[in-house]
Amino acid sequence: MTSYLVILRLIKKGAEADIYLTTWNGRKSILKIRKRKKYRNEILDNRIRTLRTIREAKMISEVKSFGVNTPLVYFVDQNKFEIYLQFVPGDLVRDLSNKMIIKICEKIGKILGTLHKNGIMHGDVTTSNFILTSNQLTILDFGLAQRTEKIEDHAIDLRLFKEVLNSAHVSIVNQAWSSFLSGYGKIVGASRKEKVISQVSDIEKRGRYANVV
Amino acid sequence: MLCLGIESTAHTFSCAIIEKKGKNGKILSDIRKIYRPPEGEGIHPREASRHHAENSPQVLSECLEKAGVKITELDLVSYAAGPGLGPCLRIGAVVARSLSSYYDIPVYPVNHALGHIELGKMLTGAKDPLVLLVSGGHTMILAFLGKKWRVFGETLDITLGQLLDQIGRHAGFASPCGTKIEELASKSSNYEPLPYVVKGNDVSFSGLLSATKRIIPKGLEAACFSLQETAFSMIGEAVERALSFTGKKEFLVVGGVAANKRLSEILQLICKRHNCKFFVSPKEYSGDCGSQISWVGLLESSKKTGVKLENTFVRQSWRLDTVEILY
Repeated sequence: MTSYLVILRLIKKGAEADIYLTTWNGRKSILKIRKRKKYRNEILDNRIRTLRTIREAKMISEVKSFGVNTPLVYFVDQNKFEIYLQFVPGDLVRDLSNKMIIKICEKIGKILGTLHKNGIMHGDVTTSNFILTSNQLTILDFGLAQRTEKIEDHAIDLRLFKEVLNSAHVSIVNQAWSSFLSGYGKIVGASRKEKVISQVSDIEKRGRYANVV
Repeated sequence: MLCLGIESTAHTFSCAIIEKKGKNGKILSDIRKIYRPPEGEGIHPREASRHHAENSPQVLSECLEKAGVKITELDLVSYAAGPGLGPCLRIGAVVARSLSSYYDIPVYPVNHALGHIELGKMLTGAKDPLVLLVSGGHTMILAFLGKKWRVFGETLDITLGQLLDQIGRHAGFASPCGTKIEELASKSSNYEPLPYVVKGNDVSFSGLLSATKRIIPKGLEAACFSLQETAFSMIGEAVERALSFTGKKEFLVVGGVAANKRLSEILQLICKRHNCKFFVSPKEYSGDCGSQISWVGLLESSKKTGVKLENTFVRQSWRLDTVEILY
């Protein structure tokens, strides 16, 4: 791939990695590089970057087998902490209209339900990790994903999403949350849904200075 | 406008007077007495409240004297009504109620966490920052949206301040131990692997606490170094996530742990990467102090009247994200 010119264009400096638009064997591609973080101790930094690069590549491929839309993994370079991914056009759910976000939340719920049902927690369920392309919703960013069947872990995913709605989509939080739960319940079933929701409220009660005393 | 602010949520009993002219505030005096538990022990609520009660008259008169203000000249009194230790909170509330009823001065119960943020904003000039509040009682990432401070991430168990204090006490120091740990950490560069737990935008320190205790016998300096590197990197990552999600162009760090230089350095590097202006509350005012409470009292008085004496509550559990901001 060094034999021809590769155009790299930075499209996002994320928290965890820099995202570039590039090509992979002639196809439009996203290059995700987990760059060295100068503020982090080098040993710690290498450990985190290696773990997450490998984990992300593995999880994205595995999740596809459940019928969840994720970008294809084209290539992984473990030593450079790089992943080449399929370019998915569309809009981030975060940037959609309120009405649309409420609607899409049901689909987000279904996707998360499918992951949980298959024993995967995503670990970073935010509205900026979903891309809507006409009618198709794609889930991104599996760097914090984990294989787990625990109710607590699944509840953490839900709580994070609730926190995101509560902080970034305040005006529609109630509708969006119930739309999300209805989608989630359709996949995992009513009894599992209730268990996870009750665990979410347990986690919330653990929050510092929550109204429990 | 002159406001006396009274802080007594934990270690510190403090009185301060701020003069507000238009939008500007000037700290006329800020007097503190800090309760110090014996080495290796934490804060005992009863002992701390006794300390506050004994010291309150002296702190108050020193505060008035230094500011050159008579009680009768005060326009309002505010006190930290929570969150904090019940016995300690009550001392501050009693002082505030007494002054208010005897001299007929309007009284304002104030959220302690809000005090950290608002004074930090006033002193640094930050307008619309993403805020990191790191102290013994809080580890929270916040942004202001729709009349409330919204939580973008927080600790799922103990706070950063508690983590440092508990390790320090385990090693036999008197809390607060942050300064001691920072000093020891600066003497080592030997990183021992420790658990790094970031869950979405949240962090969890309890596992890190146990693991650090286990490596202390191998060398206290290396343990302190590894602890700081791991814990601060976790905070750093959570802050980066929140910055990239909110797209804020200002960042403000407040609270007792804000005084740590290594944490500050990490946060500055992050802000540089995200083209974000970095603000840190001045060391003198990053710990708990009356000025924080006084300033919020002044801000609130611009929009509402004081509360009736029977409504001067204290609340041990009082989350910042439930407070509606009117000003």
